[in-house]
Amino acid sequence: MSGIVGRADRANAMEDLRHVGRSEVRIDGLDKVTGAAVFVDDMDFGPDLLHAAIVESPHPHARIVSIDTSEAAALPGVVRVVTGADFPFTFGLYMQDRQVFARDVVRFVGEQVAAVIARDPRTAREAARLVRVEYQERRAVFDPLEALATEAPRLHPGLGDYPHVPWFFPEPESNVAHRRRTIRGDLEAGFAAADVVLEDAYRVPRYAHCALEPHVVVARQDRAGRLTVWSASQSPYTQRHVFAQALEPLGLSHQDIRVITPYVGGGFGGKAGVSMEILGAVLATAVRGHPVKLRWSREQEFYNTYQRQGLVARLKVGARRDGTITALEHHLFWDAGAYVEYGANVVNAAGLSATGPYRIPAISLESVCVYTNLPPGGPYRGFGYSEFSFGIESHMTRLARAIGMDPVEFRRRNAIVEGDLLPYGALMNPSGLHEAIDRAAEAIAWGEEESPREPGHRVGKGFALFWKAPAMPPNASSASFLKFNEDGSINVTVSGMELGQGYLTVMAQVVAEVLAVPPDKVRVETPDTDRNPYEWQTVASHITWSCGNAVRAAALEAREKIFQVVHAAHGLEEGSLYLEDECVRCDTDPDFCLPLRDFVVAGIETPDGTYRGGPIVGSGMFMPEFSSTHADPATGQGGHPNVHYTVGAAGIILEVDPETGKMEVRRAALAVDAGKALNPALLEGQVTGGLLQGLATVLYEDMRFDEAGRLLNPNFTDYKIPTAHDIPDEVVPIIVEVPQPDGPFGARGVGEHTMIAAAPMVADAVEAAVGIRFNEMPITAERVALAVARREEPDTWAST
Amino acid sequence: MGHRVTLRVNGEQWDLDLDPAETLLEALRGRVGVKSPKVGCERGDCGSCTVLLNGQTVRSCLVLAVEADGAEITTLEGIGCEGLAPVQRALLEHNSFQCGFCAPGIVLSAVELLAAHPHPTRHQVQEALAGNLCRCTGYEPIIQAILAAGEEP
Amino acid sequence: MTLTRSFTYVKPGSLDEALALLAEHGRAAAVLAGGTDLISWMRDDLVAPEVVVDIKGLPGLEAITLVDGTLRLGALATFSDVLRSPVVSAAFPVLAEMAGVVASVGIRNRATVAGNLCSAVPSNDAGPVLLAADALVQIAATDGERTIPLAEWFRGPRRTALRGGELVTRITVPLPDRHGGCYLKLGRYRGEDLAQASVAVLALPGDHYRIAFGAVAPATVRAAAIEESLEGRPLDEATLAAAADLVPEVISPISDLRASAGYRTHMCRVMLRRALRAAAERLADDGPPYGERLL
Repeated sequence: MSGIVGRADRANAMEDLRHVGRSEVRIDGLDKVTGAAVFVDDMDFGPDLLHAAIVESPHPHARIVSIDTSEAAALPGVVRVVTGADFPFTFGLYMQDRQVFARDVVRFVGEQVAAVIARDPRTAREAARLVRVEYQERRAVFDPLEALATEAPRLHPGLGDYPHVPWFFPEPESNVAHRRRTIRGDLEAGFAAADVVLEDAYRVPRYAHCALEPHVVVARQDRAGRLTVWSASQSPYTQRHVFAQALEPLGLSHQDIRVITPYVGGGFGGKAGVSMEILGAVLATAVRGHPVKLRWSREQEFYNTYQRQGLVARLKVGARRDGTITALEHHLFWDAGAYVEYGANVVNAAGLSATGPYRIPAISLESVCVYTNLPPGGPYRGFGYSEFSFGIESHMTRLARAIGMDPVEFRRRNAIVEGDLLPYGALMNPSGLHEAIDRAAEAIAWGEEESPREPGHRVGKGFALFWKAPAMPPNASSASFLKFNEDGSINVTVSGMELGQGYLTVMAQVVAEVLAVPPDKVRVETPDTDRNPYEWQTVASHITWSCGNAVRAAALEAREKIFQVVHAAHGLEEGSLYLEDECVRCDTDPDFCLPLRDFVVAGIETPDGTYRGGPIVGSGMFMPEFSSTHADPATGQGGHPNVHYTVGAAGIILEVDPETGKMEVRRAALAVDAGKALNPALLEGQVTGGLLQGLATVLYEDMRFDEAGRLLNPNFTDYKIPTAHDIPDEVVPIIVEVPQPDGPFGARGVGEHTMIAAAPMVADAVEAAVGIRFNEMPITAERVALAVARREEPDTWAST
Repeated sequence: MGHRVTLRVNGEQWDLDLDPAETLLEALRGRVGVKSPKVGCERGDCGSCTVLLNGQTVRSCLVLAVEADGAEITTLEGIGCEGLAPVQRALLEHNSFQCGFCAPGIVLSAVELLAAHPHPTRHQVQEALAGNLCRCTGYEPIIQAILAAGEEP
Repeated sequence: MTLTRSFTYVKPGSLDEALALLAEHGRAAAVLAGGTDLISWMRDDLVAPEVVVDIKGLPGLEAITLVDGTLRLGALATFSDVLRSPVVSAAFPVLAEMAGVVASVGIRNRATVAGNLCSAVPSNDAGPVLLAADALVQIAATDGERTIPLAEWFRGPRRTALRGGELVTRITVPLPDRHGGCYLKLGRYRGEDLAQASVAVLALPGDHYRIAFGAVAPATVRAAAIEESLEGRPLDEATLAAAADLVPEVISPISDLRASAGYRTHMCRVMLRRALRAAAERLADDGPPYGERLL
């Protein structure tokens, strides 16, 4: 890094920030309010564009006996029909267990078996119906506990041969794709020391991301053999890498593949990694020269992309009457679906952290990734933490009540602090968890009674803590290029994705801060793997932290070059120079003021007519150098798999109509320790949005499958995501700022965290209001009303 | 098979030869090249394809293009051609949108609302937006912006 | 591509022309008004008409008028038209209360009340209020007109008394001189949803009540037994409880994705009590404003 000391660095001290920490208007805002924002589906590809349609399995588990494509191929307008025989490739991010097309066996309803490429979408769809596939059905299994039984059908006899990352432990001869154990301390002694031990099970169903933009991919392999893929993705570089791995048999490597990602219409994890995009990539190779487009319908969006995995959790926690948690045992059985190439890492992440943000001397976590004949599970905002937090946080409140202690006070006593041991044995990072607890509790007037607004209603309050670490390979990295233009404006290229979270804006603010230009003079470009430098993925809430560091480094490098040029041309000491209001200024010469636009491309003319300098560019990268997955497989101890945790607390005031079960969120407060809020308005946007997404998972959303593994609600008619009527009366975002030492300006990520606390705090509030505890999500109005009715009128309900 | 249809889109006349099975959404995106109405669900649930048809919001995925013969159609591209409309400015300044995929529909729903109720209540704003799904924002920043636009004289 | 099947689109210029087209094509023709159901059903291959007859623009079918105490809703009147109609808000405000909870603005601007009756899905919103009000469906065909009481209209899910070649031209509602009304619709949340259950109540002077339920039987049902039990009785707790106890005799709900039969029954009891109270209070000019959320 620069090594320069001087006023420039003083200007980056926390108290003296000009752009970072302010609620700047989004730099992509104008594109979005005018309709100028281009998404993949909006791009035109000319008259030779072809359209693909997919032949899908109607069975949850079956052997493919034969595929007859002749009738489909004969339909006028059809260009090619392809099957797994044409592309017998496997792929996967963390474990290569997935096939481009199902070959011998289909493992979920909707799995791709063949594809038709035609001149128009209607012909493609019609032809897809003409592909005849003969199946021999097999016994299917949908419940993770049933799938663990020895007599359960085995989904992946080849499990032992799948390449996978070194931190996975598949168990061939079973449906266990990975088992993560994190064990520390003397569990038996811990439970023996407890005054109360509470044991129970919690169930969480599957959920859908429901980004408004469906998955879409366009791919073209040109006549020279180069493959370009335009995709709605969170992960352009990871896609290129997975494509290069999968298409290696076709002679393609990274240099032959280019992934371009314009604006993305929401991701929430659903567009991370590679799902349907692999189809676009291979189909393009079948019709060289033509672009091929594949756009998922809303139905396909529901049943053939990643889904949030279902969870059955068995939890046992002990505490002493003084409020000290003594031991925790947590078994998590994940319904991971037919392929776990990404989902197994969700299981892994949960297995490292399913204690919640608590200091517990004895723990045993066992997180089991189980194959089922349902669609592939995968990343979803929260990455396993929302799922296990429903049980953990419900349990903490119940345990507090069981020992007669206020649940917030119980959490205060046990909340983890800097330097405490993490489950896997490393040390907790700095955090403002206690401040978050106090402020969230205050915001909902915890402990004070509220009267209902309507007669007959009941009001309950709920409270929950949350934590989450980025789940990343230890060497996940970010990079950035930066260049000045003639007018002193700046282009920054990165390969993180603007998913709506405001990432481009925050990167512009970081550059603006370092280079003393207004953020609106900084363009941050969406990715193109030919032009923009490397980024692992836009997932894990790591991008502000990781890419923010890379962008800051690029800006610092550019600044150093600016000072060198000024020094070369004007002889001023580099250490005396600083940037202010788009000019270079000098500590020792108050009159010196050189506008950036005068020289950042043209250079500086010297008295003899020669020039110094030239176009100013910068580059930067960031990779954590302390992270490691090397640990004892039996205990998970010894490594440093997570870079840091972001923590917080949330509370809710819920009004319940016990007759109808209808619940209204009167107030929800969420305090999150962002380290440093680089743009408070955008951070508050994450709170408002994430909280509602979380509330929806507990109040009405869930994926419903029939006994044959078919999704019953693959649409917004019956998978209800919140409308403008379904928001809390009031959301109170609370920003806590205990700096992350290695974060840009002290920042750490918050994007996923804002939805984690929602479900357990609603469960708490419902119990507080009507005296009934729910251990299964969602807690719908129907479930509440019927539970109340059964309690009040047991005779009426005896027969139901 | 083809139907001769005249659409007036954002003030421009388009004479098109259309298959009756084409939806207005498909015709706008594929024939006229107006891309702000988005394909979100194709069954009227999400509101991403919202356009104004003779001043009223409709789901363009549930309207046949031939039905719109002679109609005046406004998409987001036709709003605030001379600089931003006040509601667009408010949405920009409130950082209302995140991914922006729902934005074209939401702006048009807001335009329809403000034409009928220049100073709407919070409930009226919620009701006007209730057919436009947004997964990112939690709606509050959008509601605040529209209320602010409605407070302007 | 939303629609994969081809069809012929015709937009007749007159009612006679429309009727001739319907007569010619019979069941192969589909009438297009708002299209919000028709186009999504065509997309899902639930219907595959060869000819689509667009009746928009036919003269006289849009108007909402009050003639001699009878409300006339033209077949092209949309839910938004109902919501905006001063005639409706003055003479039959419960109809606007119903229209206000149908889907959302962009659908209401397009979907027609008559179309909602013709689609006849069990969860339709127009049915309960109109059934409680003894509405009539006016039908035209090349061989003349006929009128069907709404009580004889619904024949099951997506089935009505309408024959091939016929067109609904108008719905008429003989309005009681004085009444209080209430329509309650249960959804999974506050936002746009299909009814899990619904109830419409009209309270008339002298403690007469007319009641209908939606989404809890194959078709919209009139609750005659409950009406009789309430006849002439003031609405005290005992009367309300007795009425609620009759609910299971009137409805035959199923358990499906949207709700269990148990919840539907439970909520019909709850909603009946609330709707009766609100309707009676509104009759006495002492009730919650129409459109206020009572669930």
